[in-house]
Amino acid sequence: MEINSDVCNGCGQCILVCPVQAIKMIDNKAYIDEDCCVECAVCIREAKCPVNAIMMKRLQWPRSIRIPFSNVLTTHKLTGIGGRGTEEMKTNDVTNRYNAGEIGIAIELGRPGVGTKLRNIELFTTKLSVIGVIYEEKSPVTTLIIDGEGHINEEIKEERVLSAIIEFKIPSEKLPLILNVIRTVENEIDTVFTVGLVSRMQGINPSEFVYHVTNLGFQVRPNAKINIGLGKP
Amino acid sequence: MTHTLHRKGTVEDLKEDYVMLAMFAAGINDSYDDSHQKMVKIGEIMKKYNPVNIISEIVWVTTSTVTAAFDNLESVKNVIRELKKEDFGISIVVSGLISEIEEALKELELYPHTIHFSLGTFSGPKVQSLPSEKILEITTMCGHHTVSPQSITNYVKLIKQGKITIEKAAEKLTKPCVCGIVNTKRITKVLNSLISEKKN
Repeated sequence: MEINSDVCNGCGQCILVCPVQAIKMIDNKAYIDEDCCVECAVCIREAKCPVNAIMMKRLQWPRSIRIPFSNVLTTHKLTGIGGRGTEEMKTNDVTNRYNAGEIGIAIELGRPGVGTKLRNIELFTTKLSVIGVIYEEKSPVTTLIIDGEGHINEEIKEERVLSAIIEFKIPSEKLPLILNVIRTVENEIDTVFTVGLVSRMQGINPSEFVYHVTNLGFQVRPNAKINIGLGKP
Repeated sequence: MTHTLHRKGTVEDLKEDYVMLAMFAAGINDSYDDSHQKMVKIGEIMKKYNPVNIISEIVWVTTSTVTAAFDNLESVKNVIRELKKEDFGISIVVSGLISEIEEALKELELYPHTIHFSLGTFSGPKVQSLPSEKILEITTMCGHHTVSPQSITNYVKLIKQGKITIEKAAEKLTKPCVCGIVNTKRITKVLNSLISEKKN
């Protein structure tokens, strides 16, 4: 994103709507901090700039990688999927992506509202790959992993995005290993992240699952996403 | 893989906050001629039971996802009852309190197929403090984090100055979320609470 300082009248509307506080006022003109900006385009959609000073630049690689991880209205070129996520458990009653005995895991870096450098992905993936997780092949993050050791493409590491979701699944008995990784990375990382666990409710009920995870030292929120089983192949 | 999952708030707050989502499995449900007609019908059923927010009707005929937010479980139950009867074969996800949804499903003779549980937010040692929990209650309602914390603070200021009503501010804060999953009624409650906080 770019603000034409010759045109900007300093009204500050764009500063208010920026989700990552990347716009600052200097000498009555709004400026975008290029390193901080995640290219989400909320400013151009929501600031209603009275003098049309906000412009969407044509971005070159690797900066262009910021767009699909930040702008909700775009589709990732490699995955063909809108935004930074996948269908995951939302269509599990049709796809059987997660079967009984498996746990799906989503670690979303940068959320809520802090953003993340893509290099943070590697803090997790180098440890997860040792455990032998199965990455979701349609996830935009999976396309960034370049080897079996969980390293990611060097040239995109310093790019900053609104959020990046590491999606994978494991046999349920490996859950304690994954939770250990979460505790380890929590002490190393320079951003926030959220964690979600997906379980098919076959041979287990929700409270049993919550009890199991609580016994492993993690709190489970009272609210969740529930696929109610009305989908058919 | 998160979207409506990590909404903040207490159990009491969440009793008035449910999101429904219908989604095609790509390459499966969307390969039939009447796929998008089904999605439109699902949108119409959701709209019939007075959601507090819903994705723009313009996209119902083209999208793979229809979403709506509700402020009560009874409306959600009514929508599920109709969807079950119509048997569209399209996946439906309800986000909200696990115990309440589980009970509602039991009443409708359904059982959760798959659940996505939240372990909440983790913060690294170098992270500056996050906005207050009340601000996060609003910002986490948008699954793509398009509602900025400073716009909420600004509206609180404008409400106190009498320059905008709480309802109008809530409506404006809903706008950046293109998925229609931000609960406008809940924003009104949070804004009321933020204004009281500032007075004290």
